[in-house]
Amino acid sequence: MLKVDDLHVAVEGKEILKGVSLEVGRGEFHVIMGPNGSGKSTLALTIAGHPKYRVTQGKIIFEGEDITEYSPDERAKRGILLAFQTPPEVEGVRIIDFLAQVLAEIKGIDIGEAYDLIKKKAEDLWFKEEDLKRFVNVGFSGGERKRLELLQALLLEPKLLLLDEPDSGVDVDSLSVISRKIEELHKKGVSIILITHYGRILKHIDRENLKVHVIRNGRIVKSGGAELVDLIEREGFKAVFGGGNGE
Amino acid sequence: MSETLTLSDAKSIIENQIEDLARRNREPEWMTRIRYRALEEFIHAPLNDPIIDEQTLLHFIAKPEIEGLPEKIESLDDLPPEMKSLLDRLGISEVEQKYIAGLAVQTDTGVIYNQFLQEWAKKGLIILPTEEAVRRYPDVVKEHFLKLFNAGESKLTAYHTAVWNGGIFLYLKENLKVPFPLHLFFLIQESSLAQAPHIIIVAERNSEVHLIEGCTAPILVRHSLHLDMTEAYLHENAKVRLTVLQNWPEYVHTRPMTRARIGRNAQFLNTTVSLGAGKSNIANPKYWVSGNGYVELNGIILGQKDWYIDLGGEMHLQGEGASGINASKAVIMDESTVITRGVIRAEAPKTKGHISCDALLMSDKARMETYPGLVSLVNDAELSHEAAIGKIREEELFYLMSRGLSEEKATQLIVKGFLEPMLKDIPVEFLVEIRKIIELAVSGGM
Repeated sequence: MLKVDDLHVAVEGKEILKGVSLEVGRGEFHVIMGPNGSGKSTLALTIAGHPKYRVTQGKIIFEGEDITEYSPDERAKRGILLAFQTPPEVEGVRIIDFLAQVLAEIKGIDIGEAYDLIKKKAEDLWFKEEDLKRFVNVGFSGGERKRLELLQALLLEPKLLLLDEPDSGVDVDSLSVISRKIEELHKKGVSIILITHYGRILKHIDRENLKVHVIRNGRIVKSGGAELVDLIEREGFKAVFGGGNGE
Repeated sequence: MSETLTLSDAKSIIENQIEDLARRNREPEWMTRIRYRALEEFIHAPLNDPIIDEQTLLHFIAKPEIEGLPEKIESLDDLPPEMKSLLDRLGISEVEQKYIAGLAVQTDTGVIYNQFLQEWAKKGLIILPTEEAVRRYPDVVKEHFLKLFNAGESKLTAYHTAVWNGGIFLYLKENLKVPFPLHLFFLIQESSLAQAPHIIIVAERNSEVHLIEGCTAPILVRHSLHLDMTEAYLHENAKVRLTVLQNWPEYVHTRPMTRARIGRNAQFLNTTVSLGAGKSNIANPKYWVSGNGYVELNGIILGQKDWYIDLGGEMHLQGEGASGINASKAVIMDESTVITRGVIRAEAPKTKGHISCDALLMSDKARMETYPGLVSLVNDAELSHEAAIGKIREEELFYLMSRGLSEEKATQLIVKGFLEPMLKDIPVEFLVEIRKIIELAVSGGM
């Protein structure tokens, strides 16, 4: 469904991704690990279409269509959703109104129906009705922001969900609800690319079919199964990279 | 502007207008005298306007009405087609469209509110066209007419005072609380006179009212200069909200003059929503606040085309514990310029003041300047200010777009959200229109 082919990406003139290739099939669960600054978030943001991330070489194919030059909303309409590592605050825009507008425009759901659906799903992620009247991410804790990202994923049910460190800056309880929801989406057939530093978020997830990639200096240096996660958890990235300069 | 006009040309024109107004309004002599005195002051007063020079003003006095508008508007079909289609896009009701077209003028407003008025008049509410109030309640009007201004402060103040016409007189008896907003829309379409309504608000002790003036839709006006003057007198514990909605066409200069005296424990919340694309809007409202009184000036500005907006605001905190907030939020588009220069003067102990100014610049040629002024004459005042001028953040826009909203929709959402916290006092029927106007402006559809 997603084919990233020899992707080179530059940000403000500096090359961050130096030839990444990755294929994600329908319903697959991919994990991308790597040290800080290795290019993990860049990959996610580029697939989602962030204008600052410029593709200098290679392409992104989604369901047979070259989307490399598409705007973020065109990608979202095709079923790609990025759950941000640090979603920004949007002053003055109420969560409920925002989500209802998105559902109405993307899924064609009637506004009234959208409100009901949002309230119902929000409960699963511990949001109370009055929370939904708050402005998007304004004054939110780390855990609240990540749960709101997951709520959007549950509502939109994308074909491909990119999760950029859904486990960072999150308390233990939030982490467990987040990982259970990720598994729920996976079981519904959503393809997932999950970016993380740690293996702990994968505890609630069926490890059998995980496809794990380790990224370093803008390239995927190793791919494998769940055993790679265990290895990195136990011995750090140097066990993968060899030598002593793993971060 | 071929011929050069002189002050004495203007003087004789104004004299004729005063005669006319006095006769037509069956005006008591004391009021006509005020007009003539103002005319004398007009000759010597300074002009003090960065945009309108003396020749422009004199030409306006000689011929207040602009050219090129339909001669007579007898039905909505006579409106210029662009305007009619904009009103339709905004979803504005036919009744309101008639007001906007000037088909229902101030005297009609009196009729519409008549039944309502009779009910509330018994309880102590007076709302009258100012001319009528001058005749019917001369003592109260005399006590409150031009007590917060001097006609000779500037040529514009003097000119307004000499030829004022229209406006309303609002009086609330002690303890009277009006539980719903009063919406008044007055626009005088008479071509030979300047648009210079005079508004007086008198709120006796413990009274409460919310007055909404104007409307959010663009209005068809016949004059290129608008000189309205508002005087508000709030007695102890009174609570008055004055919300001014304006959406001017691009040829109009507005010089609203607003001043209020705020009694002990009284509250005056003054909100101005400026939409559209006038030529220029310069205002420096002034407030004098007694002990524990409170004043709030909220400016919501959507500056389009080459609109030049200069919004001041002078708060004199004169009684112990008095406080004031001057907050503005401006969305500045195209080649519009917005300047804010609020001043808060702490003149008594334990006073508090805060100035905030936020602006969102929507184009490279949009311009914002802010000059907050805090003056403390005592040693225990709390005065502060904050300002933020910026563009739409790329991260925010990307975030909304990554949910599937087009750039246009995402921008609309951010701009509406930016202004939203300032719109807390606006009744919902106007909010709907304001949001729609913002959407249209962002999409370039105004």
